[in-house]
Amino acid sequence: MTPTPTAAPVIPLKRLHPLSPVLKGLRLLAIGVAAISLRGLQELGFWNWLLAVGLLLVVTLIYSVLLWRSTGYEVIGRELRIHEGLLSRRVRAVPLERVQAIEVVQPMLARPAGLAELKLDVAGAQRAEAPLAYLPLADAVALRTRLLTLSAGPERADELTARQPAEQVVEQEEPHLVRVNNREVAVSQFLTPPVMFAPLAVLYIIGQLVYNQNFGFFSVASMLTALFGTIGAPTMRMLNFWNFRLTLARDPKHGPQLRIRHGLLETRSQTVAVRRVQSLTITWPLLWRRKRWQRITLAVAGQTSGGQDGRTETDRLLPVAGNEQARTIVPLVLPGVDLAALPMTLVPPQARWLAPLRRNVLAAGLTEQVFGTVDGVLTRQLTLVPYQRIQSVRVTQGPLQRRLRLATVHVDIAGGVPASAQHRALTQAYEWADELTARARAARAADAGSGPDVDAGVDPDADAVANAEPAPRLSAGQPAAGEPVAGEPAAGERATGTGDSAGDHERANDAG
Amino acid sequence: MSEPRSTPSSPEPDALDFWPDQLAWRPVSDRLVALELLRLVIGLIILLAICGIALLITGSTWALIAAGALGLLTGIRAFVAVRAVRSYGYAERERDLLVRHGRMIRRLSIVPYARMQFVDVTAGPLERMFNLANVQLHTAAAASDALIPGLDPVEARRLRDRLAQLGEDRGEGL
Repeated sequence: MTPTPTAAPVIPLKRLHPLSPVLKGLRLLAIGVAAISLRGLQELGFWNWLLAVGLLLVVTLIYSVLLWRSTGYEVIGRELRIHEGLLSRRVRAVPLERVQAIEVVQPMLARPAGLAELKLDVAGAQRAEAPLAYLPLADAVALRTRLLTLSAGPERADELTARQPAEQVVEQEEPHLVRVNNREVAVSQFLTPPVMFAPLAVLYIIGQLVYNQNFGFFSVASMLTALFGTIGAPTMRMLNFWNFRLTLARDPKHGPQLRIRHGLLETRSQTVAVRRVQSLTITWPLLWRRKRWQRITLAVAGQTSGGQDGRTETDRLLPVAGNEQARTIVPLVLPGVDLAALPMTLVPPQARWLAPLRRNVLAAGLTEQVFGTVDGVLTRQLTLVPYQRIQSVRVTQGPLQRRLRLATVHVDIAGGVPASAQHRALTQAYEWADELTARARAARAADAGSGPDVDAGVDPDADAVANAEPAPRLSAGQPAAGEPVAGEPAAGERATGTGDSAGDHERANDAG
Repeated sequence: MSEPRSTPSSPEPDALDFWPDQLAWRPVSDRLVALELLRLVIGLIILLAICGIALLITGSTWALIAAGALGLLTGIRAFVAVRAVRSYGYAERERDLLVRHGRMIRRLSIVPYARMQFVDVTAGPLERMFNLANVQLHTAAAASDALIPGLDPVEARRLRDRLAQLGEDRGEGL
């Protein structure tokens, strides 16, 4: 992969912390115990049951220890290699230039032992690649710094290795830029429709109990579970966003980096280089509007914003922010963007036939640096895409849109939902498509010209070029049936691709 | 193959005729029409066979009605498919590739060569029967949609080589 003579390991093969098998084993054990104790306790009797649990404990511990012995990681050149697997050994090589963000997670169980888990967000991967669990916290933080340095570029990495050995790379604490008020976090997370309806549900239960004597135990129990279900998710979010702190580290070599720390029971600390941010979304939920609160999230190429796997919970820039705060924070990620002065224009009047409720909401505009779109009646959303992150531009037009001479402009980004400006006037849509491609090209050129930050703009692909690897990997000469796709991220991206385009179809159908 | 096709059929300015003075849209091969029709016929034959078996087993007239409905549906789909194939077009500009398609829902994709991650050239058994190939450009964005189906293998190879060439140029440029 790397043509440079850095084949010697930068970090020699290391094992994870010896306590990690115990921690992982405990998790396995909990599952095992839950599985056997439902009926087991009655049928086996207490002592036999205890014996079974003990046996299980020993087996899981032995398994975990064996697994631990075969697990390790090393850094060779600009590649992180993770060795794992007991029966079928596997070595995963993670090209570090594709690393988008690194998160250090400290689960509740690992905290007393001072251990942490390292999660890498890799471009093209569906979910957090290669969690290294567990490392001592200091090691995890140091490793993260090293990996981020290596991912920034070879020349900088060499420079750094020459000057200071691995052990001395310590993360310097900086004063927090933003510390989100815990009270605001708590209030905001409970200001969601399901929670607001919870008192109604309680009233309903009480009413049933008073007036309906046949109301059984099971219905009460199920209602209570539903109640806990609605309150459970906001509580988890609240605990997750507790003590939310945002720091901006201005490193002259790496460019600015965002450091995000949060969590009460499970502490998370994420580092994202600003140049890896693909898009920024600001959301105003309906119930937050009176408080003038908003939520700011960012998309990174590694994280597909599917929402199901909980990854969206960690890509927050600010879980709750006031207007002024948002105005000061957004320019740090997207320089030169003033939230209060975005040149947004509404859709033309004929769009009311297609989007009657949103005709005064749907807006979009091009600023100096970003393309912005607004959508959503109840939950309003503003998406900002910097020009240098635009991957491709699409224009679609449904049959009804054609009659009304409207079209939708989509701006595709790596690892995120495309930003769509719906129902623009046809001529404007094409002007914008032209303008967006031109500006994206100019922004890319400016990025490439600005010295060492070659890979800043053209996110994963320019890195490949920097690595002297032929970027467009072409399939072999003659077209053949079922020819495999060249390129690792294909499968995952393809999978999301179908999902996304399905969404587009839906949107287009909706429009038409 | 290489002559730009104009669409004189629509009197009003066509949404897909994008910057007509700058662009020479290339159509996909006409053999793709035959291929799409063959695909539909194969599907229809399988479904009709199922209907026939159902008729033999149950003797219900519903099987006949279903067969008729399937025939009608396939007819409509064939009409749509032919129009869809005819609507495909692509154009190579200096720095990006444009792909347009769709009759009902019209789509136009602009993919800069600089964003190209890799190029797929695929051809299934039916495509090879008709001597056709598909070229697809992939970017890091999952939503990017630049698939050109039904190209003559010569043209597919030319396009692929050109894209590769542009990729290399870009590499030197950086």
